[in-house]
Amino acid sequence: MIDLVLALLSGAVGGLIIAFMPQCGSRLRNVVALSSSAAGAIFSWRVAGAVLAGRTIRIAGTNGGLAWSLHPDPLGVVFALIASTLWLFAAVYSFGYMAGEERQRTYYTYFLLALSVTLGVAFSGNLVSLYLFYELLTLVTYPLVIHERTEEAMKAGTKYIVYSLSGAGAILIAIVITYSLTGNLDFGGGALLADVSPGPGLGWALALFVAGFGVKAAVIPLHRWLPQAMVAPTPISALLHAVAVVYSGVYGILRVVYSVFGHELIGQLGFSHILPWIAAFTILVGVIIATQQDVLKRRLAYHTISQLSYILLGAFTLHPWGLAGAILHMISYSTLKVTLFFGAGIIAKQTGKVNVSEMSGVGRQLPGTLTAFGIASLGMIGMMPLNTFWSKYYLMKGSVAWGKSPLALVLIVSGIINAFCFIPTVVTAFTGEMRQPVANKERDARLMLVPTLLLAGIALLIGLCPGLVWPGVDAVINRFF
Amino acid sequence: MTATIISNLPVFVVIAPLFVAFVLSTFARRIRLVESLVIAVLALGVLGAGYLASLVLMQNGIPITYSMGGWPAPWGIELVAGSLSAFFLLLVSGVSLPVALFTVANMTHEVGGSVRTTRFYVLYLLLAGALAGMAVTNDLFNVFVLVEVATLSCCGLVSACKHPRAAEAAFNYLILATLGSALILGGIGFLYIITGHLNMGFASMELCRIWQDYPHVVWIAGGFLLVGFGVKSALFPLHVWLPDAHSTAPSPASAILSGLAVKGYMICFIKVLYNVFGATLIQEFALDRILSLLGMVAIIAGSLFAVAQDELKRRLAFSTVAQVGYVFLGLGQVNVCSLTGTLFHIASHAVIKSGLFLAAGAIIAATGKTRISEMAGIGGRMPITMAAFTIGSLGMVGIPLFSGFIGKWHLLSGSLTAGSTLAPLVIVIGSVLAAAYLFPIIRTAYFEQAQATDGQDPGAPQRIALILLAAGVVILGVAPGPFLELASRAAVELLAIK
Amino acid sequence: MKTLLDKLIINYPYFAAVILFLIGAFTVLTRSNLFKKLIGINIMESAIFLMFIAAGNIRGGAVPILCQSNPEALYINPVPSALMLTGIVVSVSVTAFALALIIRLYQSYGTTDARRIAEMKREVT
Repeated sequence: MIDLVLALLSGAVGGLIIAFMPQCGSRLRNVVALSSSAAGAIFSWRVAGAVLAGRTIRIAGTNGGLAWSLHPDPLGVVFALIASTLWLFAAVYSFGYMAGEERQRTYYTYFLLALSVTLGVAFSGNLVSLYLFYELLTLVTYPLVIHERTEEAMKAGTKYIVYSLSGAGAILIAIVITYSLTGNLDFGGGALLADVSPGPGLGWALALFVAGFGVKAAVIPLHRWLPQAMVAPTPISALLHAVAVVYSGVYGILRVVYSVFGHELIGQLGFSHILPWIAAFTILVGVIIATQQDVLKRRLAYHTISQLSYILLGAFTLHPWGLAGAILHMISYSTLKVTLFFGAGIIAKQTGKVNVSEMSGVGRQLPGTLTAFGIASLGMIGMMPLNTFWSKYYLMKGSVAWGKSPLALVLIVSGIINAFCFIPTVVTAFTGEMRQPVANKERDARLMLVPTLLLAGIALLIGLCPGLVWPGVDAVINRFF
Repeated sequence: MTATIISNLPVFVVIAPLFVAFVLSTFARRIRLVESLVIAVLALGVLGAGYLASLVLMQNGIPITYSMGGWPAPWGIELVAGSLSAFFLLLVSGVSLPVALFTVANMTHEVGGSVRTTRFYVLYLLLAGALAGMAVTNDLFNVFVLVEVATLSCCGLVSACKHPRAAEAAFNYLILATLGSALILGGIGFLYIITGHLNMGFASMELCRIWQDYPHVVWIAGGFLLVGFGVKSALFPLHVWLPDAHSTAPSPASAILSGLAVKGYMICFIKVLYNVFGATLIQEFALDRILSLLGMVAIIAGSLFAVAQDELKRRLAFSTVAQVGYVFLGLGQVNVCSLTGTLFHIASHAVIKSGLFLAAGAIIAATGKTRISEMAGIGGRMPITMAAFTIGSLGMVGIPLFSGFIGKWHLLSGSLTAGSTLAPLVIVIGSVLAAAYLFPIIRTAYFEQAQATDGQDPGAPQRIALILLAAGVVILGVAPGPFLELASRAAVELLAIK
Repeated sequence: MKTLLDKLIINYPYFAAVILFLIGAFTVLTRSNLFKKLIGINIMESAIFLMFIAAGNIRGGAVPILCQSNPEALYINPVPSALMLTGIVVSVSVTAFALALIIRLYQSYGTTDARRIAEMKREVT
């Protein structure tokens, strides 16, 4: 109980301390940021340990006729662990990346507030709390998106907030429909709508839920805010736009499919058979667009769009293997993608190069960075010793078991395109001629490099012993099937 | 003793501000005394309204009735303090006190010397008294009289600025509002002709018996009342007077006009609609569909107009037009949930909008800038003002934990219960548009590079007023308990009348 | 046709009220002279007063004063007349206030024409 509260509060308290701290050096600020991220991670791990051990942690109440509740379940704690652990890495990386930047106080304030809100999304025990934190997440991440304060950043911020609020509006309608059908919004028991007979209202609710959460999950055609949001500083792009914010959308859809509707009911709705194909479409189109991009961060953004739909695809198979693949992919993809973004950030900071076409020869200047980048690129294809191999394996197994083998084909094709996406870059980075050698900017890159290499190492470790994360995946499957 | 107080409470809350308003002009030279008298009587009003509300909540739906002059109901004039009255009284007193606090030692630059300021306070108290009267009255003709008192004091408040634009806005407002009053009086006349009663309860009973004999008269009466109150409460497309009037008035006056005065006319309309016509007749004469259609158009049109404004107070004024739409939309879905949402939305908008107008007033007074595009960086220089503005905006957009969300939740769920598919969509689109016209202000204030360096937070009373209203937004959103209870009881009572 | 004409003749005060109301509303909405607008408002209100008072009237009815000699007499309903006294007071105050505003507008713009005031305002901004 107390762990849950502390996990939720640690980020917010840290953020507020930084916001109201009198002028001070960056060292003290970094200490506060690091300790509150670390506290968030530690307490999340403790909560996760308790939940996975089968204990119930629940804080709930009502006000104004609306019940709210915090009630982490296995799915929630998996998300919380991913987010809070990566937050710690991103915090360390930020110390290196943001050093000497303007507006650090604002940056760290909202960076830490966003941690609390993300954990709130993860620990929500009913739809009202989920909606609350989902809305708040939009608001607290907006200042991070517009951190550069350029016109481009402002435009991206506006687009982000309009897309997110519209999505939240759709979700609100869907929640009210759910409420009017059942009068109960709690995730604690079985699926909420399990006893409701299929009807047009349910179809609408599902469509609105998927469209609403789909905005943050960047399902094509609701994805347009994501590539633009890449104007944010790299740790933010890495953490929020590859993990926390977009995962809150993905997590919302997982919740809707398994906690609100339940896999049995959703299978009876005609609409549910279209959903995996929307995901498959997003997977292919996203990665194809990614190969066309020259700006590395935009390429990564479209690649994110594609990869997020792997998780959705797994969720929409409504099969235990598919769900296992989805959860595994949530874990593995996030480690690899953050590595890629961190790598891109180091390259941009150290050499000033942001375009893929300028990358040749960079590898000799930044061998460590490019090694991590290369490992992550291999992971994105689903190569054997890396963690994504296992998630793709289960995703395919789920698709086939569900009787939709063409979906497995989609995954294979996407893997091949993925190979085209990053591998040539990495290869030319090591072997190609340095076109215009840029002097190393004499910056202490260790704070950036260490988290990057560590994450690549973790990805490799999980790939070699997937048993490390299996208990979490297993708990989620047992919870819903 | 207690019994005397209780039985006289409904009339006391109306009479007290009116009485002080008359006495006030004798102290015109001593502005401190005037201000303290105003604050004192409004604070007394808060106590009275709070006590009344707690009584109503404890009595489980039995209203406190007061017969003027001792004459019983069909002959005499009746004041009834039920849940709806207690709800609105609480709102009127709860909002007019902080707004009055904001005016303390702050009016001379907008209004003029102490005599003019005293006149401003006279009008202010007259308006407060009229609004309190609207809450408790149960007599159709009294509704008209109170509406007129409120209208005249509103026009007076608008023209309180020395600027000639204010006089013009006040004149336009006066003409249109009087047109509306004439229509309201006409509608009441038709109801009186066919029912022979002015007491709402008796008129309703009679109307229920005979409406089938005079369907046309009922139609005409309903139409007159709808258009009349529509003009008064700025229902799109009858809102044309509002943007000028509310943007040229002194800021505290704008706050009270947008926040409370418009709501007073709505409460009167709700009373006439639900207490006289009753839910059955509303549906019989398709008034529900007309109302919700008008409401939806108002939400969309008002919000779009608001997005297009660059002048801060005009944007807020158009936002009022949009928010009025929510109330009419809610009135058109005849069920408990929607009515609860409507009433709660009235309350939350009153608190939010008066806070927003006061914050806007503070910014304009401190920097002299009226356009949003000139307000870059103001958030750093006026932290408390902009914090209050931000909280108000979040409430208006309907972010959970702020008051607007609870009203919208009930409206959404009520309109879904009523089987409408368009209404929920419009409600949500309205929220997104509210973000579209409010968030850019916040973004400009906090996240844009500042060129200017002038401006600072206003004085202590003003800051307290802003903090009180912002706290109101949060409290209504986090712990709406008794307030929501009153609203939902009022909704049940309104629908119980057949 | 005959019945309609009969109705018209019997209910002539109501029809007069409707016509007056329309004249008033038309004046308010179409005239740009502020005084004429105000006169329109007054005509409109008079129409409503007429309607109310006509509703209370009974042809051949007695004055509503209790008379010992004939307690069963048919009285005119006094309530609408009493109400209209209030209505007239309201109307007078509206008129007075509006006139005061017109004076202020004339002092600052030098005209009482709403359109010219609007034009001058636009020139200023």
